Amino acid sequence: MASDTVMTRAPAAAQATGSEPVRPLLEAADLVKHFPIKSGLLGRSNAVVRAVDGVTFSLYPGETLGIVGESGCGKSTTARVLMNLIKPDSGNVLLNGRAPGTPELSLKAFRSQVQMVFQDSYASLNPRLTVEDSIAYGPTVHGVSGSDAVRRARRLLDRVGLDPRRFAGRYPHELSGGQRQRVNIARALALEPKVIILDEAVSALDKSVEAQVLNLLLDLKEEIGLTYIFISHDLEVVRFIANRVMVMYLGRVAEIGPTDALYTGGRHPYTTALLGSMLSMDPDERTMEAPLAGDPPNPIDPPPGCRFHTRCSFAESVCSAKTPVLTVSGTGHFTACHMVDPGSGHSKAAA
Amino acid sequence: MVQAVAPAMIDDATIERSPGYWSTVWRRFRRDPVAMIALGVIVLLILMAILAPYIAPHDPFRGATLRRLRPPGTPGYLLGTDELGRDMLSRLIYGARLSLFMGVTPVFLALFIGSAIGITAGYVGGIVNTLLMRTIDIIFAFPSVLLAIALSGAMGAGIVNGLISLTIVFIPPIARIAESVTTSVRSLDYVEAARASGAGALSIVRKHVLGNVLGPIFVYAMSLIAVSMILASGLSFLGLGVRPPEPEWGLMLNTLRTALYTQPMLCALPGIMIFITSISFNLLTDGLRSAMDIKA
Repeated sequence: MASDTVMTRAPAAAQATGSEPVRPLLEAADLVKHFPIKSGLLGRSNAVVRAVDGVTFSLYPGETLGIVGESGCGKSTTARVLMNLIKPDSGNVLLNGRAPGTPELSLKAFRSQVQMVFQDSYASLNPRLTVEDSIAYGPTVHGVSGSDAVRRARRLLDRVGLDPRRFAGRYPHELSGGQRQRVNIARALALEPKVIILDEAVSALDKSVEAQVLNLLLDLKEEIGLTYIFISHDLEVVRFIANRVMVMYLGRVAEIGPTDALYTGGRHPYTTALLGSMLSMDPDERTMEAPLAGDPPNPIDPPPGCRFHTRCSFAESVCSAKTPVLTVSGTGHFTACHMVDPGSGHSKAAA
Repeated sequence: MVQAVAPAMIDDATIERSPGYWSTVWRRFRRDPVAMIALGVIVLLILMAILAPYIAPHDPFRGATLRRLRPPGTPGYLLGTDELGRDMLSRLIYGARLSLFMGVTPVFLALFIGSAIGITAGYVGGIVNTLLMRTIDIIFAFPSVLLAIALSGAMGAGIVNGLISLTIVFIPPIARIAESVTTSVRSLDYVEAARASGAGALSIVRKHVLGNVLGPIFVYAMSLIAVSMILASGLSFLGLGVRPPEPEWGLMLNTLRTALYTQPMLCALPGIMIFITSISFNLLTDGLRSAMDIKA
C-alpha cells in the first residue's frame, strides 16, 4: 500500500492555511476487519467477509471527508472501526498521532473526542429515557455532575434548534425523524468532540428535513470548529457537504481526493461509473445507458488483483494479476488504478 | 430556527414533561376491566393473608372429633369442618399465607437470579453466553414438575427446601427470556451510542439495558406465579412441601381426599382457592402484557 505517501501529504483543502503541511487529526492506517462466517455445529469459521481490507486515510482538522460507495463496500464497518466499537484485525487508528487504548490516550478520552451519529434515529435513542437524559448521559459518564449535564443537554437542544422547554422532557417516540436526529447530534456534541462521524445520518430523512439538518451540521461545524466524516450513499449530498471524498469499493479505497477534482475528473473507472449514476438536472446531459450493471462481487471471496476488474470496461490481464496501489493523480488526489500508475503495465497507463 | 432562549433561565418547572413509560402502562392497564378485577382479587387475597388472625372466625388448628367433616353451611362453621373437625373457612383464610408465600417467593428469587444470569450472558455474549446458557439448558431439559419433586425429595420435605427446589425450577425459563431480550437490546444503536460515549459495561447495563429488559422479564415471571402456586400445592399434596398441621391449600387438598365421596363440596374448596388465585395471576399478567405492548 502507498500508505506513507497518502498519510504524509496534506490535501489541498487542508493546506489552504499555508504551505507548511497540516498535521492530520485522525489517521487510519491499513485498517483490516474480516468477519468470520460461522457455520456448522461447532461454529468453525471457514470463510470470512472482507468488510474492510486495508483502508488508509487521514482526516485533517476542520474538513469534511465524505465516504461514498455501494452498499456493502465497508463504509459503516470503517466508521465502527474508527470509533473503536469494533476492534480491527490489524492496522490502527491514531488521534493526533496517538493510538486510543494506550497510556497517552485512554479509550474513554478518545471517545470523548470522536463521536458518532447513526442512521436509525429511533434505534439510537433509548426509548425509556427522556431526550435530555439521553443527551446528558455521555457527560455524566465523563464525570460531569447530573445537574450540570442536564443543563448542558438543554443548552444543546436549544443549539440544535429544539426548544428545550418543549422537547427536553419528551420521549423519542414522540418526536419526528428530523427532531430525533437533531437530538442525536446534540448527544454527539455533549462530549465536546473534535470529530463527528456521521454514518448515513441524514439518509433516512425527508428531503426538506435533510436539508435543514445538513445546514445545521454546517453551522455547527463553523461555530464549534468540528471535523466531520460524512458517510453516505447519496452522492449529491456528499458533494454539497464534503471538502474531500473517499470512494470505497469492496472494503478498499478506490480513490480519494478533493470533492471538485473527484466529481469533475475522477480517475478511477469505478468513481466515474458511480458518479455517472447521479441524475443530471440538465436534460441535455441525460444518460441513455446504465453506467454500471450488476452488483458488487461477494466480499467473502473478492476477485484477485483490482477488485473492480470484473465490472470494469478497461480491465486487462494486469488488473486481475496485481493489486493497484493508491497513486498520486493530482493535488491531494490519489487513485488506486493501474491506468494511473505509470509503471503498472496497463496499456492505458501513461508510460 | 434557533430560539433566543437564555439557557440558564430554563427552570425545571417550565419544561413540558411527557408521562413516563410506566405511568402510560398503568393508564392503559386501568382501562382493562378483566385485569383490574384480577388485580382486585389478588389484593383481596393478600389482605386476607395479612389480616388472617382478625378475620378468621376460629382457630385453624383446633379440631374436635365430634364435628368432623360437616358440610358447608353448618351454623357457626360457614364452610364446614375438615377431617379433624377444624373450621374450613379459618383454614382457607390462614392457608392463603403459606400458599401465596410458596407461590410468589420462588418466582421472585428466580427472577433475581435468573435475570442476573440471563442479562450477563446476553450482554457479555461469546463464550460466557455459551457456558451459562448451556448449563441452564441442562436444568431446563427436565420437566418442571419432575424436577421440583426430585429436588424436594432429595433435600427432604419442608418449606425452605420446597422454596429452594421451586426457585431452581424457575431460574432456567427466566434466564432464557432475560438472555434473549438482552441480546436483542444489546445490538441496538443506543447501546452502541452509549459505548461510543465511553461508558463502561456496568453503567450501560444499569442505565440502558435494565430499563428495557426488566419489563418483559417481569411479565414473564408474573405468569410463572400461577404455575409456582400449583407446583407448591402439588409438593404439599405429595407430602414434600408444607407439613401438617399447617394450613396450606395443596396440603388441605391432600388430607381431605379421604372424604371425597362423603363431602365432595368440602374437598373442592382448597382447589377452588388455588384455581381463583392462579387464574387471577394469569389474567393480571395478560392485562399487564397488553398494557406494556405500546406501539411507538
